[in-house]
Amino acid sequence: MMRIQSIIEDQEYRFLRETAAAYAAKELGPRAEELDLNPEASALKEIASRAGEMGLLAALIPEEKGGGGLDDYAFCAALEEIAVHEAGVAASLLIHNAALYPLALNASEAPVSDSFPACLAYPGKVSLSGGKVEGNVPFAFNAGGCQMITVLPSNHGGAVAALLEAAEGVEIKLDPYPMGLRITQPGSINFKSAESSQIISETNLTGSVSRILLLGFASIAVGIIRNSLGKAYDYARERYQAGKMIIEHQQLRIFMAEMIAAIEQARSVVKSACDTEDIGAAVAGWLLATEKAVKAATDGVQIHGGYGYMRDYGMERLMRDAKYCQMYPLTSQEALLRLFDLYEKE
Amino acid sequence: MPATAMNTRGKQVLLDFPALATLKEYDRKSIDGLVKLVEGCAQYNDRVARPAALELDQRLERDPDYFDWDLMKEACKYRLFSLVIPKTIGGLTDKYLVTGMSLAVEELCSASGGIGLAIGAHSLGVAPLLTSGAMAHWDTVLHEIIEEEKKGNPVMMAYAITEPSAGTDVEQPEFLNIAKIGMEAKKVKGGYVLNGRKCFISGGSEAKYITLTASTDRNRPLETWTTFLIDRDMEGFSVPRVELKMGQRACHAAELLFEDVFVPNSHVLGYEGDGMANGILFVMACSRGPVGAIATGIARGAYEHFLAWARTRRNGKKPIEEDRIRMALADMDSAIQENRGVYLAHSLAADVIFRHAFTHPIFKAAFLVPRPVRAFKPYAAVLNSYYGKALVNSLFRFFMSDEAVNDVLSKASLAKFTCADNSMALTSRALELMGVDDSEERRWVEMFYRDAKLTQIYEGTNQLNRLVVYNIDMEKRQAMEVPRPFKRGVR
Repeated sequence: MMRIQSIIEDQEYRFLRETAAAYAAKELGPRAEELDLNPEASALKEIASRAGEMGLLAALIPEEKGGGGLDDYAFCAALEEIAVHEAGVAASLLIHNAALYPLALNASEAPVSDSFPACLAYPGKVSLSGGKVEGNVPFAFNAGGCQMITVLPSNHGGAVAALLEAAEGVEIKLDPYPMGLRITQPGSINFKSAESSQIISETNLTGSVSRILLLGFASIAVGIIRNSLGKAYDYARERYQAGKMIIEHQQLRIFMAEMIAAIEQARSVVKSACDTEDIGAAVAGWLLATEKAVKAATDGVQIHGGYGYMRDYGMERLMRDAKYCQMYPLTSQEALLRLFDLYEKE
Repeated sequence: MPATAMNTRGKQVLLDFPALATLKEYDRKSIDGLVKLVEGCAQYNDRVARPAALELDQRLERDPDYFDWDLMKEACKYRLFSLVIPKTIGGLTDKYLVTGMSLAVEELCSASGGIGLAIGAHSLGVAPLLTSGAMAHWDTVLHEIIEEEKKGNPVMMAYAITEPSAGTDVEQPEFLNIAKIGMEAKKVKGGYVLNGRKCFISGGSEAKYITLTASTDRNRPLETWTTFLIDRDMEGFSVPRVELKMGQRACHAAELLFEDVFVPNSHVLGYEGDGMANGILFVMACSRGPVGAIATGIARGAYEHFLAWARTRRNGKKPIEEDRIRMALADMDSAIQENRGVYLAHSLAADVIFRHAFTHPIFKAAFLVPRPVRAFKPYAAVLNSYYGKALVNSLFRFFMSDEAVNDVLSKASLAKFTCADNSMALTSRALELMGVDDSEERRWVEMFYRDAKLTQIYEGTNQLNRLVVYNIDMEKRQAMEVPRPFKRGVR
């Protein structure tokens, strides 16, 4: 896999990147197609248990509370490295950590240990009254086989409640046919006066959680671009067409150069967005990175020609995964409108 | 999705395609025929294709070898297997073969890109039989297709060009001589022996007859590129594998394996060495426009489902109440109109050159000869002899000059990449605006998004098609010099 290491990072980040990359290359790379075709919670759990050794199952929770204690950028860097091999697992880890994130901010006791995969019921219309949760979330990742659901109710000062999957009144309907990020087993969740097991926070955390989601999906998008570039580059060196290897064809060089440029651009916005608490920066990074990822994956398929369209080369999966990064947690125009709202408020 | 499409579609066709409304003033009968054809396709969609499409797409992911013959049997009722067969031979129309094809596949693909492709790939397989002027086979193969269609049995064809290590290369004369060709047809007594592989052949696993291009001398592929008619019962022919595609799954992409397949001389379509000029280039000049129409149909499907989504209330609000969604819909409409403009321009231009041949008195007179006489062996043998084929080809080429074919090829390539790119952008944008939710409409648009990508790849990648347009329109370079019959080995 080709690497582009343009960002100057501290030693600890670099070390984390290497560990995550080694893990992903060994555990995920060879199984990526299988995970996409047969998404099963058990397979995901088995794979993720090894991610736990890197602290990725409670990455954002401080070490003193028993978490991984990673900062935002470290977490994003790890997600990027994992997404280079399998974006779905990276997305699953992201959603899991975003669902636990409120715990990091508030709760004293965290039900961290055995909660993977945790599901984040967001976005949707959910309300909380008297410890009962009502509402509907049309699409949430990690819905299949989830151990815990974090809800971000719109009323009640935006408090956060954690629910167990088995709780009465929680109805999960798995999406019969999601296009991308399949190992996350997305689905819709219906709450009918479901009992909340724990009220984590009385303050509105929607902003902080969606910031993590945006940064995470932007990083996953960077991983997808890197994977597209790597696959396209490898293929272009082997495939002969019109008297030369296709890597010699100008248009394809431009396609790949655009991917290189996109990696640089997206990484630097993600890095600067991690350094600030500003949600606007995260929105901007997510918009850029996901758009570039969709283009990179589509171009990657084009470079592969007919082979790119077939499952065997693993290229079309990237195209499907990349599109989902662009569609969650909100649509790009909604994101733009939110960005402008923020600007207007200031 | 509108269940009323069936009733309104006919009226809508003339509104969607004002050029046809104008033509109707001069040729009411033919245009009414086209409208009826589209109506039939709309009916097929409502009755058969749309109810099955999503489920079929899912099923084929688990079970790529599955092929839904019932869908194809239903298509017989609407005569979708004789779309490009001239009326003189028993088909639907003489004057608007390509236009009819384009309109039909747009309609079909608006329900499912895969089902539309299955019909389209069959017609693509029929096309070389026509363009090569292989009259002797029209009475057998084409007649069989039409007769079986009447009984409700689909007899399908496919066109096999792509090889494992050469896709774009074998579709373009400039590249053919430097292509890595694996397939070879070796001349033996009484025919040829074929060895090699073809891959990604749409409909190749279901086709009863396959038109195939191969070189008889791998060192000089351009000069010896020849079209053969393969019967799937021929010994040594097999289909080892069907690919699992991202989209358009209802039509299989098959790998074809040829192990010492003997093809008799009578099954050479046209003559040895005209496989590029009278085969691929000619066929592509007619088929890339309909591929644009496939892309347009896919875009339309996405647009229709996006519209249905936007009109549905969610969280107490309809997305269509927002200006940004309305503007996006207007953009989508605009992209579809633009597509229709380019592919219809191509299709009409292609029909202009085709029409003269298929409606010419000499041509029609040939079919005045009663069928039993035509089926009489010596008669067929004369037609199938080198001089017989060359005679038919000369007649064809009298009406279809090199310039005309080149011009149509350029229009076709332009339509293909414009429509494919627009379709990809449209489906992508629709998904981007919808976001993820649990609606059925999202799944439809996702399917069209996956379907759309293939239109940028097959029938020559979009990059190749752009180069074709440059070569023909700006360089005024002939796509290739057509070898004249009666002068074997001119090149």
